[in-house]
Amino acid sequence: MSEDIDVKLEQEVAEFYQSLGIHQGPGDIQYRLILKVLGKNEGRITEFSEIREYTDMFADKGSIGSKMKTIFQLEGLAEKVKRGGYIITDKGMTASNFLKDTTTFYKKNKRMGEIIERMP
Amino acid sequence: MSAGLLLNATICFAITISSFAFAWVLAQSDSQHNNKSRPALWSLIALWSLVGLTYLPTTVRMIAAYMDNQQLDLIMYYIASVPFSFVAVPLVFFILYVIIGDQKISSYISLLFVLFGAAYLALFYSSGVIGPTITPLTSLFTINSDIAINIYLIGLFVIPTAMIIGLLFLIFLQRMPKRLRYRTALPLVAISFVFDFMLTDMITLDDTMQLAARIFVLIGTVQAFLAYFPPMTLQEKLGIKKYEYILCEKEEEEDYDEDGVEGSDINV
Repeated sequence: MSEDIDVKLEQEVAEFYQSLGIHQGPGDIQYRLILKVLGKNEGRITEFSEIREYTDMFADKGSIGSKMKTIFQLEGLAEKVKRGGYIITDKGMTASNFLKDTTTFYKKNKRMGEIIERMP
Repeated sequence: MSAGLLLNATICFAITISSFAFAWVLAQSDSQHNNKSRPALWSLIALWSLVGLTYLPTTVRMIAAYMDNQQLDLIMYYIASVPFSFVAVPLVFFILYVIIGDQKISSYISLLFVLFGAAYLALFYSSGVIGPTITPLTSLFTINSDIAINIYLIGLFVIPTAMIIGLLFLIFLQRMPKRLRYRTALPLVAISFVFDFMLTDMITLDDTMQLAARIFVLIGTVQAFLAYFPPMTLQEKLGIKKYEYILCEKEEEEDYDEDGVEGSDINV
């Protein structure tokens, strides 16, 4: 069963990494959402329109297309299998797993931060 | 009548004074806390006040034992048992609130410990105590109810102590700045110190052990004070000093280029 993508959480996580000076990869909301959608559809073709469902509020069609080409295809994280159709590669799955770890780290860090905040 | 009893009374009095002073200082710092940390702060104030309220009658008790007034000794023992039975309540609230952040749930669970305390007191008062046994160092009572001791051990001490250890582990497993680690772990260690040695103090039948336990309670109180108000030398030694940073002027900021080419672009 595929997991749901929490756009708000992804944005929070991206902002957290940006605040640490990491603006690319885990700190880039577009990268996060694209990889999340690709990871969710592992073994199936991901339509470009499906990616745009999540990314439209952050970026236009052009910049997402460009990201797909310059990062995901160029680095071999995804392969274009048809016009507007992509499939995640094994390397892409590694990146997707890493992304999950970044979310876990964020949650852990946030929880600890809240604990410290509540300590008088 | 021995000097050991006076020494014991002095230690109890020192615990009373330092606990009340600490609770007072914490209460004074209320305005420096936000709404998130305020419930935990007040539970700490309640905890230290209860420690003080436990040791105030104990001080009188030791003086009564020194003056060979067994009646007053017994009355004071009964009085000291009341705040002592409820010491676990603010502690449980504090730990639960810090971990889960929900004031309601923390209150409900700590209410359970009020019941534990009340059950302990009911059994304690109905069964009575055996004593006092006056020794050169202290005056000892034996609680005449095994169930009361079991409630006391399991409900009032084992669970809260396990909670403290859990929170300590949570803190130690995280990588965090030294200053924060000191600020969060030391109060917990201090509370644990005070709490566990209060247990030893109340149930031991060995006078030397009771005196030693009271010395450790005093050390724990001082430790808690140091956790919140570390002296400058300690801060420097432990590397936890918070420096006041002064923002550089713009002219100074641009002076990063050692080759003298000011304002040159940095390729990232």
